[in-house]
Amino acid sequence: MTTALVRRPGLARLRLSRNRTGRPWLYLLCLGFLAVVVLLALLAPWLSPHDPNAVDLGNALAGPSASHPLGVDGSGRDTASRLITGARTSLLGPLGVVVFSTVVGVVVGVTAGWRGGWLDSLLSRTTELVFAFPGLLLAILIVSIYGEGLIAPVVALGVAYLPYVSRLTRSLVLAERKRPYVEAYRVQGHSGLQICLRHVLPNIAPVVLAQSTINFGYALIDLAGLSFLGLGVPALTPDWGRMVFDGESAIQSGYPLSAILPCAAIVLTVVAFNVVGERWADQVARRDR
Amino acid sequence: MTTTPAKTPEFTLDVRGLRLQLPGAARPVLAGVDLTVGARETVALVGESGSGKSLTSRSVLRLLPPGATTEGTVAVQGEDVLTMDAKQLRRLRTHTAAMIFQDPRAAINPLRRVGDFLTESLRLNAGTPDADATERAVRMLEAVGLTDRVLRQYPGQLSGGMLQRVMIAAALMGDPALILADEPTTALDVTTQAEVVGLLDDLRERFGTGLLFVTHDLGLAAAISDRVYVMYAGRIAETGPAEALFEQPRHPYTAALLRSTPRLDAPAGRLAAIQGQPPSLREELTGCLFAARCPFATQVCTEDLPPHLPVPDEPSRLVACHHSDRLADQLAESALHD
Amino acid sequence: MTDTTAAGALPADSADSAGGDPVLDITGLHRSFGSVQAVHDVSFHLARGGSLGIVGESGSGKTTTARIIVGLERADAGRVLVWGQDRSGPAGHGRSTRLERAREVQMVFQDPFLSLDPRVPVGGVLRETLRLHFPERRADHDRRVGELLDQVGLGAREAAALPRQLSGGQRQRVAIARALAVEPAVLALDEAVAALDVSVQAQILNLLGDIRRDTGIGYLFITHDLGVVRCVTDEVVVMRHGRIVEAGRTADVLADPQHAYTRLLLDSVPRPGWNPKLIAAARRAL
Repeated sequence: MTTALVRRPGLARLRLSRNRTGRPWLYLLCLGFLAVVVLLALLAPWLSPHDPNAVDLGNALAGPSASHPLGVDGSGRDTASRLITGARTSLLGPLGVVVFSTVVGVVVGVTAGWRGGWLDSLLSRTTELVFAFPGLLLAILIVSIYGEGLIAPVVALGVAYLPYVSRLTRSLVLAERKRPYVEAYRVQGHSGLQICLRHVLPNIAPVVLAQSTINFGYALIDLAGLSFLGLGVPALTPDWGRMVFDGESAIQSGYPLSAILPCAAIVLTVVAFNVVGERWADQVARRDR
Repeated sequence: MTTTPAKTPEFTLDVRGLRLQLPGAARPVLAGVDLTVGARETVALVGESGSGKSLTSRSVLRLLPPGATTEGTVAVQGEDVLTMDAKQLRRLRTHTAAMIFQDPRAAINPLRRVGDFLTESLRLNAGTPDADATERAVRMLEAVGLTDRVLRQYPGQLSGGMLQRVMIAAALMGDPALILADEPTTALDVTTQAEVVGLLDDLRERFGTGLLFVTHDLGLAAAISDRVYVMYAGRIAETGPAEALFEQPRHPYTAALLRSTPRLDAPAGRLAAIQGQPPSLREELTGCLFAARCPFATQVCTEDLPPHLPVPDEPSRLVACHHSDRLADQLAESALHD
Repeated sequence: MTDTTAAGALPADSADSAGGDPVLDITGLHRSFGSVQAVHDVSFHLARGGSLGIVGESGSGKTTTARIIVGLERADAGRVLVWGQDRSGPAGHGRSTRLERAREVQMVFQDPFLSLDPRVPVGGVLRETLRLHFPERRADHDRRVGELLDQVGLGAREAAALPRQLSGGQRQRVAIARALAVEPAVLALDEAVAALDVSVQAQILNLLGDIRRDTGIGYLFITHDLGVVRCVTDEVVVMRHGRIVEAGRTADVLADPQHAYTRLLLDSVPRPGWNPKLIAAARRAL
């Protein structure tokens, strides 16, 4: 499959996992890191040592201690607990974006690629229109109309990410449709829908999923950015982006830990998703050859 | 070959004991290939896919797969290609030996004009001035029967046959001593094939180059070449003058290959197909590599690798088979029955 | 025109030799792509259980003709009759017509590396076809899969393999088994042995001969290789630039070609003492 995945210029440099067969250590490390993050998020209520929203102003901005291993923030909330609980929102948001954009994007892409003709033109032009509109701006617009809440930014970013998936899917379907095995099934008497669902879709799925994995990282950044701006996530919900925002004043007071830790969490998670996604895409490409 | 004297570059191409091992393969892809091409000589290298015929021709330009390790020598005009430094190698590829590939469309950049393609190597590698390079390109295009109009055209505007002529012109640009043609007519129609082969033959005569013609088509090899090498599983099975080799094959593989080709002059009906498949690179094999598919195979075939021995009364022919004489007897007998 | 005589000469001949109606009756097929006449007034018959070769070079329209017959392409004009029923249009949308049509003509494609879904194991390929066409015989499918594999010379080991684990010849056997699973009346083979090695090609050609003898299936053999035509066909149609230039019994056409183009094709087959320059001259003269 020659179709390239869509990468953002800055993050394209992070394609460290490209070394062909040897040194899968980076990939394994990233996979392990993601597993830990996901586990933390799933088991947050049992793992967090404190109530992430318990305010203790008397203890504000205290450094690491036995009861608060990663210190507390400007309101005296335990950073470790907020990080662990925040992983839930921070992963759930991008998950929503990716699921939405993948499902709708694949439907749009497959329809456009398989049917072709006027339907293809209509769908392609429409998604290009969305593509031309900055995703973050769209999200801000929607949030400012609908107010606080996770749903609005997730749907907005889902729509903004849809063209990445639909364009990739469409080109993959176009390439796949030309393969003789599709014609062979047609001659056998299978209907177009059957061929599409049973053969074309499973064959392009690994590439699309690799793209979605990479998109997950981008969505994480975008959503963190939104909550940093105070949009989307409600004020009290623990969230990494929100934590960076809350930690801003702490940095000015000379206590950077509560802001730096969520930053590190965001960066590492995004890098890990990129590395894993790239590796999967590479594996698919190699298997195809 | 054991009989040829060393030192003087008597041959344009002289491959001796070439072994090529790929990572992960249980046996060498090329297991001791000896092959020569003289000046003005057309030599055909015949084999099926996986026999190592393309690898042999590619190793002449040192176009080796990644991770390959080699033994033996590949001498082009007396110089060993396998030990050359980068600069010598570039000179070899620009001036001494040129290759024509199977699919001309895959071997040319579709976005560059034909003129750029033809002159690129001379301009960049040999520092020839643009005007001289273009002049030579026009002469070479004329030699292959095209006009200078083609210079300004794009590959997409040319037919497959015309494009293969362009590739031949490109191969001649550096005035090479040796042309390696790797299945140059397989992607072409039969009538176009005749044209391209005729052209290659003409040019070989006119420019005094040696031609190594790699093909899977026995009939074509017989029709165009002076000498033929038949290759099986990385080894030369048999070699000799084209006519003698096809009239009276001395290796069971050559004989079987000839019988399994659907021909216009053979009796209709079932073909004598060779049973089984060529051995995979994952299998380690002892003895003769063809033994598993050979009707003549005996105990000795699976134990000892047959050496290349001259055919009695025909010193120009070498065959690697323990039962070459039994095959000869059988052929003589069946000829009597006819 | 040569093609009208060809069309006139063939039906009587083939119908006689088979002693019945032709399974495939093509009349006046036309198809153009833009300004290019890909197929121009092509007519021929395929007798029941017969084997007809369509010979030509690239651009002769032989593949387009075959694609029209299997329903992958539509004709601008002309008729495709299968068992006397008109099948000129593209494969219909209705399920029953689609299946009915699939059971009439099946196709084996040139490239065995691309004509199988890389994800589906060999047994799955056949089972899928059987489920589609014979859902009522579900209990029998496993036996039938074994039978089909056996028919094309493959075993249980290959049944579990994915296409990429098989050689080119083995894949082409799978493609043939898949076509046979439908139990079609006619099998169109589009350069089906061109991509194979000589020794493997001979195995497949023999296999095809055996299958025809055992099942009485008809072959439409699209090829550029006259040696192959001689080996597996009873009758042959020679096409050039979308038109039929010569047609007749294979042995007659090859032994005594009437059209200059057929002679050129025959002369172009390399053999010892072959003179490529004469052929090139003849080609330019034509």
